Amino acid sequence: MIIHLGHYMALSCVLFSIGAAGFLFRRNVLISLMSIELMMNAVNLTFIAANRWQSAVPSADGTAAPVIPHHGHIFTFFVIAVAAAEAAVGLAIVLAFYRLRKTVRTDAADMLRG
Amino acid sequence: MNFLLVLAPILTLAAGGVVLMMLDAFQKEDGQLAMPTALLHFVAAAAALALWQRGIPADGAALVAPWLTVDRTGLFLAAVISVGGALASLLAGGYLAEHKMDRGEYYPLVAFSSAGAIMLAQSGDTLTLFLGLETMSLGVYALTGFRRSSARSAEAALKYFLLGSFAAALLLFGAALLYAVTGHTDYAGIAQGLRPTAELPSDLVARAAEETLRAVHTRISIFAMVLILVGLAFKIGAVPFHMWTPDAYEGAPTSTTAYMSVVVKAAAFGAFMRIMLTVFGDVGSASGTAGWPAILAWIAVLTMTVGNLMALTQTSVKRMLAYSSIAHAGYILLGVLTAPRDGVGVTAQASVLFYLAGYAVTNVGVFAALALAGRRGAEAVSFDDLAGYARRHPAAGFALAFFLLSLTGIPPTVGFFAKFYVVRATLDAGYTTLAIIAMLNSAVSAYYYLGVLVKMYMREPSPGAAQAAPNKSFYIVFTILVSAALVLHMGMSPGRWLGLATEAVTPAAAPTAAP
Repeated sequence: MIIHLGHYMALSCVLFSIGAAGFLFRRNVLISLMSIELMMNAVNLTFIAANRWQSAVPSADGTAAPVIPHHGHIFTFFVIAVAAAEAAVGLAIVLAFYRLRKTVRTDAADMLRG
Repeated sequence: MNFLLVLAPILTLAAGGVVLMMLDAFQKEDGQLAMPTALLHFVAAAAALALWQRGIPADGAALVAPWLTVDRTGLFLAAVISVGGALASLLAGGYLAEHKMDRGEYYPLVAFSSAGAIMLAQSGDTLTLFLGLETMSLGVYALTGFRRSSARSAEAALKYFLLGSFAAALLLFGAALLYAVTGHTDYAGIAQGLRPTAELPSDLVARAAEETLRAVHTRISIFAMVLILVGLAFKIGAVPFHMWTPDAYEGAPTSTTAYMSVVVKAAAFGAFMRIMLTVFGDVGSASGTAGWPAILAWIAVLTMTVGNLMALTQTSVKRMLAYSSIAHAGYILLGVLTAPRDGVGVTAQASVLFYLAGYAVTNVGVFAALALAGRRGAEAVSFDDLAGYARRHPAAGFALAFFLLSLTGIPPTVGFFAKFYVVRATLDAGYTTLAIIAMLNSAVSAYYYLGVLVKMYMREPSPGAAQAAPNKSFYIVFTILVSAALVLHMGMSPGRWLGLATEAVTPAAAPTAAP
């Protein structure tokens, strides 16, 4: 069996759906953070796999051999870096919340409503 | 070096943020950074205006080209974001000092967020869209939770962060799917890739395979379009993706609320309009992603109606203003969804820009006037807190009343013309029903805005209740005066400002409307 782009896409859709479902149905903030991370990783997988199936384009000056653009790969690095920054801010917020409420469950976040 | 010139507003704010961090590290006592931060934002606005006046260097714009679109639309939004950020940081100078949380890290966060906001508003590639969005949002999450001793502030930050990150992940997956289908991350490339171009091969087997592939691609791209639409709808607070808005607005420090409702909204709307018109703007074609104006029409109607109906039932003024900001997002969406119609593109886009500018100055003003009514330990947040306020303190009460009238849309304030232009564009495009719904909603909104006025002017506080009294902050008064001047000026000579907004979208309209 030949693995091609469709398989990777299906896998990343499944991963993304698991992440989204986890985010929507679990009540623990840390699990929510993990779910978001999983969604980001599904994105990364899509980008890397799609980049692998890119066709080569003529090089910029037209003299050298055609090159394969690396936009997907570069995008992945940015996603990884930003996800790390996001986790840092997110965990800081979770810590602040935990200090005041002594819990990390989202159903405890019920002071603001209406 | 011209690429430094075209990036001047972003670079000013980013470099200035670093300088502010150094200033904060070396200053002896807290709370002197509001003025430098405001100045920094004004410098960024001046840079945007100078670029506008002297013309954007073409080679510089070409160097940053697919990543950032430095055109007049982008510069207009950069100016709105910078002025809004400046006013919000002045407001912070007064508000944070009054409530004893004037810690220096607030201001670099504001500067970095504004840099991200301008990047978002000027993005021309899904990568810069994502980076700008996150640079802006990460700062604002921290600003939301800035009142560290308050469980409400932490809860607001938590909800805003969780839903914001979820929205960003949806947006990213949309971008990834578009990349998989088209092989491009820049808007123009994606739009090109979404249009079926090549002839179908004549060989029957190859033809069938190609047709299957195209059908799959169409489905994936529609799914991706919906993901991107939903991701950005979260950021602008459109119903049904608005759940975080009232909580984040209520729990955040008032200066952050002002910042959120002005800068974040302007940047997100700018990016939203650009990506929808550039990537999916080919409404006439059969590219499969052309259905978004219909989706957006439903979202706009829901946003206006739910926002206004929920605002009716609120007892907290801040929460009421949050729902009102949702309703206003609905009006602005009307401008966005009419833009792809033939012949109204320029008017519709100009009306959106005008609305964003007018809404920015009005909203900073209303939150500043609300912050003025609160003292340490006694923030005036509920309607009852404000009972009799305007009779005891006529000037401060009038300031709040003035901005509320602008939000209601009563001439000669800018609020009236903002709504007028958007509704006119909607009528021009032939969406009569939508225009009628918008006007009905606007009438409903008068009820709760004027409810505050009734409380302030005609009710006495219940015996023993705390009486709101204005604090004597120079910063807040200054913010109110500047935004009131802008609201009045935009309301008195709206034609001039609309002319600017039209000029902002006109040269860009050719590549934007028909990519």
